[in-house]
Amino acid sequence: MTTSLAAIPKGHEFPPATFTLTPEWVRDYVAAVGDDAIAGVGDSFVPPMAIAALSIRALIEASPLPAGTLHAGQELAFQRAVRAGESLTANARVASRGERAGWVLMSVDVDVSAGGETVMTGRATVTFPVEGR
Amino acid sequence: MAQGLAAVAGDALPVVRKQITQEQLGRYANASGDHNPLHLDPQFAAKTQFGGTIAHGMLVLAFVSEMLTAAFGRAWLDSGRLKVRFRGPARPGDTVQATGRVKSVDGQLAKCEVECRASSGEVLVSGEAEVRVA
Repeated sequence: MTTSLAAIPKGHEFPPATFTLTPEWVRDYVAAVGDDAIAGVGDSFVPPMAIAALSIRALIEASPLPAGTLHAGQELAFQRAVRAGESLTANARVASRGERAGWVLMSVDVDVSAGGETVMTGRATVTFPVEGR
Repeated sequence: MAQGLAAVAGDALPVVRKQITQEQLGRYANASGDHNPLHLDPQFAAKTQFGGTIAHGMLVLAFVSEMLTAAFGRAWLDSGRLKVRFRGPARPGDTVQATGRVKSVDGQLAKCEVECRASSGEVLVSGEAEVRVA
């Protein structure tokens, strides 16, 4: 069952989401963003933003974004390079939620790990109309 | 600044330029799973404050990450930190330019200013990045 992000309160913990960075998905991601630099780093390394994108994808699948959601800010910290084929688990929690002038401002903290080792942490701040609920 | 070399305050990061297309927004939506109609549905987007579709913020941010990968190579993947605000929308047809410079180097930690601008000059993304360098 999915619950819209608009209905989720501060402190909510999302169910852990596990996903694999398949070589096919990584290839599609690199093509979509046109990343010309990652190939120069070494064979099969994944653009770090791909980790963030797939983590967010896993969360969106559990809690769809209200139509018209805007991304207001993003913090990311990468702990180690990740290769295509690795399986990762994202744990996320609503760190803050407020309403002002008809808009919700929500921050979601995420910790992404591989085999229990954190590979990325981040905070996404999004905003959407209150009526999106 | 060549990839993997020690950073020096004042160094410019390699510029990344990308043209945004509606087709690219569709490809990014499929990869990211973010099918927000604001990015994909011109009729929906026309009724919003933007008057048309806009790029996903994480797509524009990928251009910043590409710039940092080009500048710092593996070090960016192993130790990068990024904190940005999304300040304006990138639209299909825009050419987006990611730029940055090394603001300071303290021991092994290089701090950089980064931003993306549209061809109009509008700032789309601005913020700071940190990376451990040799």
